[in-house]
Amino acid sequence: MTQWQASASFELIRLRADTLRTIRSFFHKNNVLEVDTPTLSSATVPDPFIESFQTQYVPLMQTMQTNHFYLHTSPEFPMKRLLASGSGSIFQISKVFRQGESGKKHNPEFTLLEWYRDGWDHLQLMTEVDQLFTLLLSPHLALGETRLLTYEDAFQEMLGINPHRANKKDLLDCTEKIGLANVLDEHEDKDRLLELLFSHIIEPALGKSNKSEQSNKSYICFIYHYPVSQASLAKTCMHKGQLVAERFEVFIDGMELGNAFHELNDVQEQRQRFEKDNQTRKLMGLKEIPMDEYFLEAVATLPACAGVAVGIERLLMIMSQSQHINDVIAFPFDRA
Amino acid sequence: MASYSTNEFRSGLKLMIDGDPCSIVDNEVVKPGKGQAFNRIKIRNLKTGRVVERTYKSGESVEAADVMDTDLQYLYNDGEQWHFMHPETFEQMAADKTAVGDANLWLKEQDMCTVTLWNGNPLVVTPPNFVVLTVTDTDPGLKGDTSCGGGKPATLETAAVVQVPLFIAIGEELKIDTRTGKYVSRAKG
Repeated sequence: MTQWQASASFELIRLRADTLRTIRSFFHKNNVLEVDTPTLSSATVPDPFIESFQTQYVPLMQTMQTNHFYLHTSPEFPMKRLLASGSGSIFQISKVFRQGESGKKHNPEFTLLEWYRDGWDHLQLMTEVDQLFTLLLSPHLALGETRLLTYEDAFQEMLGINPHRANKKDLLDCTEKIGLANVLDEHEDKDRLLELLFSHIIEPALGKSNKSEQSNKSYICFIYHYPVSQASLAKTCMHKGQLVAERFEVFIDGMELGNAFHELNDVQEQRQRFEKDNQTRKLMGLKEIPMDEYFLEAVATLPACAGVAVGIERLLMIMSQSQHINDVIAFPFDRA
Repeated sequence: MASYSTNEFRSGLKLMIDGDPCSIVDNEVVKPGKGQAFNRIKIRNLKTGRVVERTYKSGESVEAADVMDTDLQYLYNDGEQWHFMHPETFEQMAADKTAVGDANLWLKEQDMCTVTLWNGNPLVVTPPNFVVLTVTDTDPGLKGDTSCGGGKPATLETAAVVQVPLFIAIGEELKIDTRTGKYVSRAKG
């Protein structure tokens, strides 16, 4: 096979087209409006673990002027500006871009389905994610019963540790016990240790039944109520005496497919979180990101809502049982 | 000291891990939508052949192993060591039993082999994928039997024993796949 040819089969190129059509008709039926927001924007997300592509706007016949623009990593900020302007529930299917994310499950440019439900919380949204996933996946694979698990229960069940109460030493001891010693040291933030344990031990087991069980089925698995330190753009709430983030992620076959928030609509809190992200970036030796003032202004009038972002390529991988993301993209990064 | 960043990780890259030279068999990026990225690699220890998993925080660097594959001609065995020669520089090099390992069964004088050098010393000897070896001993087969149904053991000039079809006789040259240790065909004259 030569590099100029598509790396995805026509069967999977057709599967992508069918999937996008099914998604659009699903939202059309549910009265969710399709929107289109800019790919290029003057600001971007300050999350220290998401790097944006950067480019410049050059006016005609000039070469000196440089106005920085970023390729969006998700359409979240402009979509929330629409919600704050009174759009009601909206969805978007767009290409997004993330630096450095390349591998079996990552392509630096990928397709994101993002939708927001006006007036809903993350638990209501979870039901709709389940409906859409079941609709899309059930013609391709036998799905077991959907499972809901709090972040805490997942840690308790698989590692016997309480992620909220455990201190760094407990978590380091845990990494040692399971063969992940020396990956991170005691100077790392507690969240990095949680992320290591989650991504290496918990995530691979989510949405996949044990080999010992008779029915070897994949299933949709929701993990919700993350530590507040991983709230990102989610509201927080008390759950069984523990302050948690109203956030969930969805997994099938040991792979993350989406991330959702009961959206934070407190401007001051939002600004503080961005400032904290920038402080972390500074400590990590990364460039600080200018605040998206348009977005921050909109947060003040953002209605109560829940939103979720789902990777279309990952969904296609599950449907087609592909082992590499390049199998579901016509021209992945190395052929682009 | 040379090192590689996790961004350069790919299959075949040679790293020093726990003091031993290792080769990456598989590299997987583990990156949550939100949170720290890691590289999870499967590595083969080139001294022991064992495959283990390791995780590194993305962006870290790992010491490179000074490991190089060279094509050398096998000369002879002196009872303790196996001697090889570079076909152009005529430089000679000796490998011990640990480095030669099972390749011993397929080494025929004059054949070209891949010798993996670590700090300039032979670490692993890999025979060519296919070798032609002469049968030194086998039971007489049934004359005229050319079916593939049965088989019998045959000893080759290197002392390796392989299963061959019944029609193969002593003195014949056979083509062997060294990766599987299996008979392929009679060598074409």
